[in-house]
Amino acid sequence: MADQPVSDRIGGYADAVLAVARAEGAQAEVESELARFAEALRSSDELQSTLADSVIDVERRLQITEDLLGGKALPATAALVSLVVGAGRGGELVEIIDAAIDRAAAGRNRRVARVRSAVELTGEQRSRLVEAIKASAGLDVEIQAIVDPSVVGGVVTEIGDDVIDGSVRSRLQQMRSGLG
Amino acid sequence: MARKTLRLFAALSVASAVLLAAAGPAWAAGETIGGCVIAQVHYAEEEYGSLSAVEADEKAFKSFEEDLEGCVEAPSPILPELDEIIWGGLAFLILFAFMWWKGFPAVKRAMDARSEKIRADLDAADSAKADAMRTKSEYEAQLADAKTAAAAIIDEARGQADQLRQDLQARAEADIAEQRTRAAADIESSRRQAIDDLRTEVAAIAVGAAERVVGASLDADVHRSLIDGYIDDVAGSGSNGDGS
Repeated sequence: MADQPVSDRIGGYADAVLAVARAEGAQAEVESELARFAEALRSSDELQSTLADSVIDVERRLQITEDLLGGKALPATAALVSLVVGAGRGGELVEIIDAAIDRAAAGRNRRVARVRSAVELTGEQRSRLVEAIKASAGLDVEIQAIVDPSVVGGVVTEIGDDVIDGSVRSRLQQMRSGLG
Repeated sequence: MARKTLRLFAALSVASAVLLAAAGPAWAAGETIGGCVIAQVHYAEEEYGSLSAVEADEKAFKSFEEDLEGCVEAPSPILPELDEIIWGGLAFLILFAFMWWKGFPAVKRAMDARSEKIRADLDAADSAKADAMRTKSEYEAQLADAKTAAAAIIDEARGQADQLRQDLQARAEADIAEQRTRAAADIESSRRQAIDDLRTEVAAIAVGAAERVVGASLDADVHRSLIDGYIDDVAGSGSNGDGS
C-alpha cells in the first residue's frame, strides 16, 4: 500500500476519531480527555517515543495506553487512542488529536487557541482571553489550555500558525540572544 | 722527354743483349790453331817453294815465324771478328726493327695504359680528395650548425629552467602568503569562535541563573499578574503574530 501524504493521513485519522466521538455521543468529553492526553504526551518525550517505537510489541504499547487511560477516561477515549497506537501511528498521535480538536472546533465555526502557561488558567482568565482574542483578531476561539512549566511565566497562545508569545521564557531567550 | 729517354734506353739494352748473344758463337766458330798453322805452312810453301827455302831466308823465316805466332795468339776479348760484327749488327738491326715494329708499340701502349691508369687513379684520388674535402666542409658546417643549435637549445633550456625556477619560487611565495593569510584567518576565526562560545556559555549561565532566580521568585500572585497583563496586552493590540 502506497504511503499517503502525512497531512492526509493525519486528517483521515482525525475525522475517524471525531466520527467515533460523535457516535458515542460524548464528543465534548472525548475532546477534553484527548486534549489532556495530548498534553501529557507533549510533556513526556519518553512516552511519545515509546508509543512510536515499532520495535516494541503493539500489545505492550496498547497495554501502556490502557494503563494510562483505563478507568480514568471514557472507554471511547481509550479505544480511540488504542486504535491509533494499534495502527502503528503512535508517533503521530499528538498531531491526530490536535487535528481532531481543530476540526471539531471548525465544525462549531470556531478556531482552537492553544494556550500554554506555567500555571493553570482560571475560568475567568480563559473567558477574558477569549474575549481579548475576539476583540483583537475578530476570531471566535476555544481555549485549549496547556500547563507547560518551560514557559516559566506568562502565556503563549497559538492559533493555527499565529503565535502570541508573552512568556517569561521568550524574554529570557531574548536576553540570551542579546548576551550571546 | 723522360718517356723518350726511357724508350731509347730500352732499345739499347735489347740491342746490346742481342749483340753479346751473337758474338759468342761467332767467336767460338773461328779457325783452330792447327788449321791456322797448316794454312800458314801452305801459304809459305806456295810463296817460297818449300819450308827449307823459308828457313834459309831469314826475312821470310821471321815473317813466317810471326805468322805462326799469330796463329797461337788469342783472339781479342773485346773486339769481335768482322763477320761477327756484321752478323751481329744485322741481327741487331732485324731485332731492333722487329722491336720497333712490334715491341715498342706494345710497350708504348702498356706504358700509355699504365700512365692513363695512373692519371685516372690520380684523378680519382683528386676527385675523392675533393669529395672528402667537400664532405669535410659539409661535416664541419653541420658540426657548426649542430654546435649552434646545441648552444641555442642549452640557452633555451637554461631560460626555461630560470623561468620555471622563478615560477616555482613565485608560486611557493604565493602559497606561503596564502597559508599565512589562511592561518591568520583561522586564528582570527578560532579567536572569534572562542569568544562567541565563551559569550554563549556566559549567556547560558547567566540566563540559566536568571531562570532559576525568576522561577523561584514567581509566586501565584506574580503568575496571575503576568497572565492578566498578557490578556490586557492581547485585548489592546492587533493579532500580528508577534505578541509580547
